[in-house]
This record gives sequence, structure tokens and C-alpha cells, in this order.
Amino acid sequence: MGLPDILPILVIGLYFLGTGLYVLGSALRGERLKAAALVLAGVGFALHFLDLVQQLAAADSHGALTSGRFLFCLLGFGILIIFLLLWWRLRLRFLVVVALPLALVFYATANATTGIKASLPPMLSGLFFLLHIGTLFASMAMLGMAFGAGLAFLHLEKRIKTKTGLKTFQKDMPSLDTFDKVNHWVIVIGFPLYTIGLASGFVWAWLASKRVFSFDPKEILALVMLGLYAYLFHQRLAYGWRGRKPAVMAIGVFLLTVLSMLGINFLVPTTFHGFKP
Amino acid sequence: MDKNIFLVGLNHRSAGVDVREKFALTNVADFEKSLLAACPLREVMALSTCNRVEILVVADGSRCEEQDIVEAVLGHWAETCNGPLDMLAAHTYRHQGMDAVSHLFCVAASLDSMIMGEPQILGQLKSSYRKAVETGTARVIINRLLHKSFSVAKRVRTETAIASSAVSISYAAVELAKKIFGELTGKTAMLVGAGEMAELAAMHLLASGIEKLYICNRTYGRAQELAKTMHGEPVFFEDMVARLAGVDIIISSTGSPTAIIRAKDIREVLKKRRNRAMFFIDIAVPRDIDPDVNGLDNVYLYDIDDLKEVVEENMSARQGEAVKARAIVDLETEAFGTWMKSLALQPTITDLLSRAEDVAQRELAKTMKRLGPVDDDTRQALEVLVNSVSRKLLHEPICFLKRRTREEGSSDRFIDVTRRMFNLDSDPVNPDAHLDRRSGEDDDPLDCECCREPEADQNESGKQ
Repeated sequence: MGLPDILPILVIGLYFLGTGLYVLGSALRGERLKAAALVLAGVGFALHFLDLVQQLAAADSHGALTSGRFLFCLLGFGILIIFLLLWWRLRLRFLVVVALPLALVFYATANATTGIKASLPPMLSGLFFLLHIGTLFASMAMLGMAFGAGLAFLHLEKRIKTKTGLKTFQKDMPSLDTFDKVNHWVIVIGFPLYTIGLASGFVWAWLASKRVFSFDPKEILALVMLGLYAYLFHQRLAYGWRGRKPAVMAIGVFLLTVLSMLGINFLVPTTFHGFKP
Repeated sequence: MDKNIFLVGLNHRSAGVDVREKFALTNVADFEKSLLAACPLREVMALSTCNRVEILVVADGSRCEEQDIVEAVLGHWAETCNGPLDMLAAHTYRHQGMDAVSHLFCVAASLDSMIMGEPQILGQLKSSYRKAVETGTARVIINRLLHKSFSVAKRVRTETAIASSAVSISYAAVELAKKIFGELTGKTAMLVGAGEMAELAAMHLLASGIEKLYICNRTYGRAQELAKTMHGEPVFFEDMVARLAGVDIIISSTGSPTAIIRAKDIREVLKKRRNRAMFFIDIAVPRDIDPDVNGLDNVYLYDIDDLKEVVEENMSARQGEAVKARAIVDLETEAFGTWMKSLALQPTITDLLSRAEDVAQRELAKTMKRLGPVDDDTRQALEVLVNSVSRKLLHEPICFLKRRTREEGSSDRFIDVTRRMFNLDSDPVNPDAHLDRRSGEDDDPLDCECCREPEADQNESGKQ
């Protein structure tokens, strides 16, 4: 069995172990366990990168780059990149408990799609690929982090508000303000990215088939999400929403994203965004 | 040998405050020196705080057979403080040997303190030790024992959660504020009314980096007064609600019979603040702040009972952590016992010889590797060579130690130095150790010829 064959198993195993060890380390307050978890996850991340590079190198046509496997791989990778950025900017190591499982889920999904040979239209290529997929995935990865930060915020806020006392786990968590900051940055940067991603998709559709909107279920859901995202953007920036409400909404928008990504791409037969043969 | 360590003392549990103040050694100059002169002791250290007095002594084994060390120390202590000996004897505890070591470790780790886990005692212990070092009454055993006790305290603090949560109302409030706002730098606070606990909380907030403190009181003059001592800004009582838009943390403790801050006021304030979080700490009874305030988004209200509950929970958490801490203390006590035993002459000689043999074998292995295949005779000759060099080098130091032991009864000091010079206990060497004794200039790395790689030597000689 060559490296490419066992690579996915290795990455999944490492992410899984990393997540488990980190949660264990948090529960037992073991800094060494946490560090070991991060090292394992780091090795997994490096292998994950290697996997992506390998897929890029093996791609003789753009078709392979739009395969479900590659895209999910990229999404998982993107989530970890966003986590690393948050760690760097906000010293928010805690979010690894969200980033790792999400990356694990997407990476595992990627490998579940290997059986399904991807056949996206060849029009998805080049600049479009960068504009459409890159921006959308970046904003989705950010939403993933906002999802985690939102859950953590709601949990901690409930603890403080109802005065049920902070256990070791909550004491090790970052402050409410930090989680809110994640939400803020995700919305401020993620919404424009999402808009660019969507707009580029419509422009390309117009260039390719002289049709901007084709009532594809994915497009409809994407527009709904854009509306929600815009509402969130407006309420947060213009109206001064903070804390609970934007956290709940970010969680909702992320779940909708996952629904559109997994549900429609795999299950709805009529979409041309699908991963079906 | 460990039977020579004695510890006598009294603390808040064994003696009331009247006894403690009578036998306090805080204002006694040179107690250690006088005790050393009065009793057959080798080393002395005394710790005296408002909650405890601990006297740690190492007896001179050769001189103390006839005399009861503890009684002698108590006698001298009572005499120094001009107090009745029987009263002192009734309120003191005595530990000997490893019990004394374990007790000292518990004291250093704050397991014996009135509020378990509070760190002040460690600082007090450090300054007592410094005094003993300066007066020259701390030597081999106390040096080692105290250094160990500091590291035990550090281990307990890092490996258990014994000191991780607040056990006073005012600290609990600050801790909660940090959980809400993260860092407190740049935040503002307002103190409404006055009162010891509220002022203490405000002081803690200031110490945690609060940028501005407003002080509001029904009597403006009192607000001005407080503002002066706490470096705050006085605010008229009538302006209080209007000012809240710029305030993140509000500590309230007025004598008002009705609520002075109502939910509908705060709703307006939140609009002005664009929903930035607010934290209300209501220490007053009857309460100053309408409990409905807690129902608003991004507003958190804790009253005195809520804070008390937090403190009680933290206290019980500390009790749980104490079990873990005691396990650490036991482990370290055992390690100290092992070290005490090694202070005897024979184990040190054995350790020295095995260290030398170890080095010889390692160097031999390196040389053999470089030489490549050699015949058995050469190999044997080389083995004899390295072993006899290392043994002959150690011959003089070992004779010296034996001679001193014979002449002086024991030679702890030299044995300790030897063990440290050859690092026989494999202790990690902290690069910051004894920083206070070093001058800034000689900060050259500790490099010597023996540490240099042989390859480097060869290159140099090659150039010549």
C-alpha cells in the first residue's frame, strides 16, 4: 500500500486522536496532553496539505480540481487555516476543539465521496475557480469558526447569567468578549467574501450560458443565505448587535451552509452543483 | 541523619491571637544567631507571620545526645519573648525528621494556611530564608530544604488548581469581570456608594488594569474624598445613570432602601453603548440594582449572595485539590529523604566512582568508534588506561572527604559540595539560579574545554 492510499487514514486518525486528546487534556487540565494533541493535529495538518498538493499535482484537467473529494479536502484545510489565523490574532487556542472536529468531518466526507466520480461542468475553471470556490470556501470556513465560537459563547453566557458556577472547563475558556470578537471578524470579512463568491458565480453563469439565475436549488438556498448573512452584517455593524443574537444567527447560517453543501450537492438530483455522476 | 531536623511552631489553629502576638518573632533582631549560640545546633531558620511562627533547626548530632533539642529551643524562644514557657509549650506543635520536612513543604505550598492556596506565605518564607542566609545560619540542609520547598510550592501551584479560583468576594467579582471582558485594560468602572468590600473590589479592578474609575456618592464631598485616594473621578449622584453609557463595570453599595438602578434605565443605556457588555456587582443589602437588569442581553448582574456562592464553590474545589497537593508533598518528602541519606560518606563515594566509570566508558566507546577495528590487547590497554585515570583523579578528593569525616564527625558541607560539583543527584541547573549574586558583566556562557566537541579540537590543530 503506497503513501497515497494510507494518507487519508493517517490524516483522519491523527485528527481524531488530536481532538480526543485535546478534549481529555482540557478536562484533566493537562498542558502536556494538550500540547501532544496539537502536535498530532499538526502532523495531520501537514499530511492533509501533502494530500492537497498531491491531488493538485495529479490533476491533469480542471475536472479533478472540482471533484467533491478535492473540494471537501480544501474546505477542511481552510477551516484549520482560519483557526490558525484566529489563534495568531486573538490567542484563541480554545477553538481547536471546534476546528479539528469540523476539519475531520469535512476530510472524512471528502474521502466518502471518492467513490462518486465528480463531473462538474468544465466551465468551472481558472479564475472562476479562485473567485467562486475560494471566496465561498473561505467564508464558509469562517462561518465554521463563528459556529464554534457561538456555541462556546452561548454555553459560557448561560453559565454566567444563570450563576450556575464555572467549572474547570469554563474557567479555561476564553472570555465572552473574545468569542464575540470572532463573530465580529467573521461577519465583517466573511460577508463580503460570500458576496463576491456568489456574484462571481452569477457572472460566470451569465457568461457561460447567458442565464444569471437558473432556479437551481443550491442557488435559491445560497440567495436565502446571502439575505441572512446581509441581515446579520447590517444588524451587527449598523444596529450594534452583540453577544447572544449574532451568535445564534451565525450558528443558524453555518448549519444552513452545511445543509446546502451536503444535502443539496449529494441528494438533490436536479442541481448542476452536484457531485453525482 | 534526618532525625536531626526539628521544627517547632504555632499557627492559627494551635494558638489564639493573644498567644501568637506574645510569641511573635517579627520584631526580634538576630533571633537565629542567639538561638544558634544558645543550643547545640548547626542551622537555624525562623519564620514569623501574623498567623504562624515556625522555627526550623538542624541539630548538631555530635553534641546533642544529652540535651532535648525541642525543649532547649522552646526555652530560648520563651525567654526571647519574655513569655511563660508552659504557655508556649502548650500551644506549639513539634515535628522531627521527615515529618518536619513534610510540614515545611505543606506550609510553603499554602496547604496549612488559614485560607488554603493563598500565595502570601511563600513570599514570607522566602524572605525568612533570605534573612537566615544573610546571617549565616542556613547551611547545607536548610539551603536544600528551603529550595526544595519553593519548588514544591511551585509544583503544587502549577499541577493542581488549588490557587486557580478566587476565595474572596472582591476577587470573585474581578474574576467574573475577566471572564466577561477578557483583559480589563481600557475598561472603565464606577463605584456607587461606599463600603469596605466595594472599595476593595474597586482596588482589585484598578490593579487588574482598569483604565478609569468613576466614584459616585450621594454626598459629593465623600465622592471627592474617595476619588483622591483611589485616583478616580468624582461624579454627581444625579449624573450617575447618564454616565453609565461609558462604564463597563458598576460596583454598587449604597444604603438606599429601594433600587437606584432600574432595568428600563439600563435598556436606554445599552442603546447608547451599542450593546457593549455591562457587569453589575451589587454588594448592597437591600439591593441597589433591580434584579430584572440581569434579564437584558449583554448585561450581567451579581449580587452579594451570588458572589458568596461562587466563593463557597471555589473553596470546596480547593479542598478537593488539596488531596492532589498532599500527594505531591509526600512524593517530594520522600525524595528529600533519599537525598538526606546520600549525604553520608559511603553513598557519595560510590556515586562518585560510578559517575567516573560512566564517563570513562562513554569516552572509551567514542574513541573505539573512531579508531575502527583494533586487537584485544590494545582494547584492554585502553580500558585500563581510562579507568585508572578516572580513579586516580578521584583518589585525592575521596581521601579528603574521609579525612574530614574522621576529624569532624561528619562533613555534610563538603559532601554536599562534592555532590553538587559532580552533579551526582542529576539536578537540573536553572540558568537563572543565583542571578542576584552575579554581576552583570560576567555573563559569558559556561563553556570549558571539556565540553567542546573533539572534532572542533581536531580542526584547530589541523590548521596549525
